[in-house]
Amino acid sequence: MLFKGKVSLITGGSRGVGKAISTKLADEGADVIINYFRKKSTAQETAREIEKKGVRVHLIKANLAEADKIDEMFAEINKEFGRLDILINNAASGVARPALELDDRGWDWTMDVNAKAVLLCSQRATKLMKNGGKIVNISSLGSHLVMPVYTAVGVSKAALEALTKYLAIELAQLGISVNAVSASAVLTDALKIYASAQGLGDSVYQTTPAGRMVTPEDIADVVAFLCSEQSYMIRGQIIVVDGGYSVSPESAMKVDK
Amino acid sequence: MSVEETVREIVTRIVRRPASEFAKETTFKDMGADSLDIVQILSAVEDKYDIELEDDALTDIKDMAGFVAYIERCISENGK
Repeated sequence: MLFKGKVSLITGGSRGVGKAISTKLADEGADVIINYFRKKSTAQETAREIEKKGVRVHLIKANLAEADKIDEMFAEINKEFGRLDILINNAASGVARPALELDDRGWDWTMDVNAKAVLLCSQRATKLMKNGGKIVNISSLGSHLVMPVYTAVGVSKAALEALTKYLAIELAQLGISVNAVSASAVLTDALKIYASAQGLGDSVYQTTPAGRMVTPEDIADVVAFLCSEQSYMIRGQIIVVDGGYSVSPESAMKVDK
Repeated sequence: MSVEETVREIVTRIVRRPASEFAKETTFKDMGADSLDIVQILSAVEDKYDIELEDDALTDIKDMAGFVAYIERCISENGK
C-alpha cells in the first residue's frame, strides 16, 4: 500500500472526481478527510463506502468560498489528526456565463472557490505537513481551451495552474511536492448538469483519440501517482489526462453522439 | 429568533436588499436572486439548522412563506 499511515484531505471529495480520488487514496491505505459543501447525505454514503476499506474517514462540511470556514476546517483537522500528508484541491464551482454577461459576484464566487481556496488550503495544509507532503490541484482544459460559457471557470483554472507552479517552487524546500492534473470533460453528474443547463446536449461527450471519455478513476490513478514517491522529481507540472484530446485538433472538433 | 426572521436575515444579506422588501408573498425573483444567490441562501440555511435542502424542492416553492414552511418541515424531520 502506497499511503498506509498517511492522512489525506480531499476538498469536494464526496462526489464525482473527488469521490474517485478519496476512494483511490483509501485503497492505498490513506486515512481520508472528505470536505463537502452541501450534500451531507451523499457525503455520509461515500464515507460509509470508504470506511469498509479499513481506513479512518472524517467528514467536514465547509464552504471554501469563505476564508473563516477554511480556518475552521484546518483547526478541526489539527484537532482530530494533528497532521496532514496529502492535500487534494479538487473542489470546484462556477457561474456559467459568456464573458459579457458575467457580473462581479459570479466572477468572485468562481475565483474564490477554484483559485483562492487553493492558496488558502495550501497555506494551512503546509503548517500540518510536518514531514513533507504532497499537494495535487485539479484543473481542466478550460484553462487554455475555450469552451461554451466556461469563462469564469476557465480563468480560475488558469490561476490554479499558475499557482501550482509558484507553490511547487516555494514549498520544495519544505519537502512538499505540488502538481496539478488537468482533464478534458470527465463523465460525472456535474458534466450532465452543465450540459443540460447550457442546452449543449451530447456535444460535451467528447471523443478522445484513446477511444472513450475520461473517467473519474483515470484522474484518481494519476493523482495517486503524484502523491507517491515515484513522482518525487515531478514538480510544478500540469499533467493532462485527456486521452490525447488536446493535442489533436481533429478529435477536438469531432462530436461523439 | 424564528425561522422566518432567520431566513429574512439570510436572504436580505445575500441578495443585498433591505429587510423591508422581504414579505411572505415575496418571490426569489422579486428579491432579484439569481442562481448563485440561491445556492448561497440554501447553504447558509443548511449551516444554520444542520439540515439538507433539496434543490429540486425550490421549483415548487412560490414565495418566502413557502420557503420558510419547507425549512420548518426539514427541521422537524431532522429532529425525529
